[in-house]
Amino acid sequence: MSAFFQLAALFLLLNVGAGLLRILRGRTTADRLLAVQLFGTTGTAILILLSLATGESAYQTIALVFAILAGVLGIVFARYGQPSAPASAQSQELKHELN
Amino acid sequence: MSLIDLITILLIGAGCFFFLAGTLGLLRLPDVFTRSHAITKADNVGLMLIMLAAALQVETWATRFKLGLIWILTLTASATVAHLIGRAALNAEQKPWEEST
Amino acid sequence: MTLQLAFDVVLIVTLVTCAWAALTAPDLLRSVVLFIAFGLLLSFVWVRLQAPDVALAEAAVGSGLTGALLLSTLNVMRQKEAQIAQESTDAARESESEQEVAVAQDS
Repeated sequence: MSAFFQLAALFLLLNVGAGLLRILRGRTTADRLLAVQLFGTTGTAILILLSLATGESAYQTIALVFAILAGVLGIVFARYGQPSAPASAQSQELKHELN
Repeated sequence: MSLIDLITILLIGAGCFFFLAGTLGLLRLPDVFTRSHAITKADNVGLMLIMLAAALQVETWATRFKLGLIWILTLTASATVAHLIGRAALNAEQKPWEEST
Repeated sequence: MTLQLAFDVVLIVTLVTCAWAALTAPDLLRSVVLFIAFGLLLSFVWVRLQAPDVALAEAAVGSGLTGALLLSTLNVMRQKEAQIAQESTDAARESESEQEVAVAQDS
């Protein structure tokens, strides 16, 4: 059973490697951040599988941190990451309010 | 091999399939909006299936509660993040992809 | 045993590729995103080395907090650069208009 969990974890790690291709190739920064989101979700699954394979319950806590981290990074990126995104977003919201 | 182990293997196999679908979507789809659609849906279903398999394998209810908490957090975070990234990409005036005829 | 070895090899290859790409990225924003991905992969390495506490710290501080701070810093830098460019074009315009006034007075 442990070997099967290891195999599934290896498969998911290969998925992460394929996601790295998208970070290297991706045209816009938003594409790259989506790939980081994939790292977060897949990483959570890998850690759960590793904790099943080894019986170490501390890995589940790291999975919890990964889950929180993905959300924080996305919100920070949407606020600061895009070139001049905050200003244009605010002006568009103002336009909506005026209309 | 007991019945629970068999169900675990089936669930993890299905979860890996959904993760593969998400990764293929990230690599093959044409723009940010379609890619975020692949990431947020397929990956969360895959994570749910793997969490169900893990919940069958662990002993205590506290651990099952923790697994459920992780899944709900991931679900909330990825829905919010997909929305935020999509809006930021629209504000940066990226055109959504249209099928060329 | 072989499965664990394969896992480690794939992890190392991905990690080194990510680090190399982060070092040679053409712009800073891309570099920061690659750094965040590198932090996530590095915390897997700590898990494989059976140091879950270090992996926890790496994921929370090394990847999340540092990544967020770097993104925020990039934003500040960009605003400063835009401000400086704006001021220099303003100064250029002012000196041009002064020269025009001087030419008009001469004639």
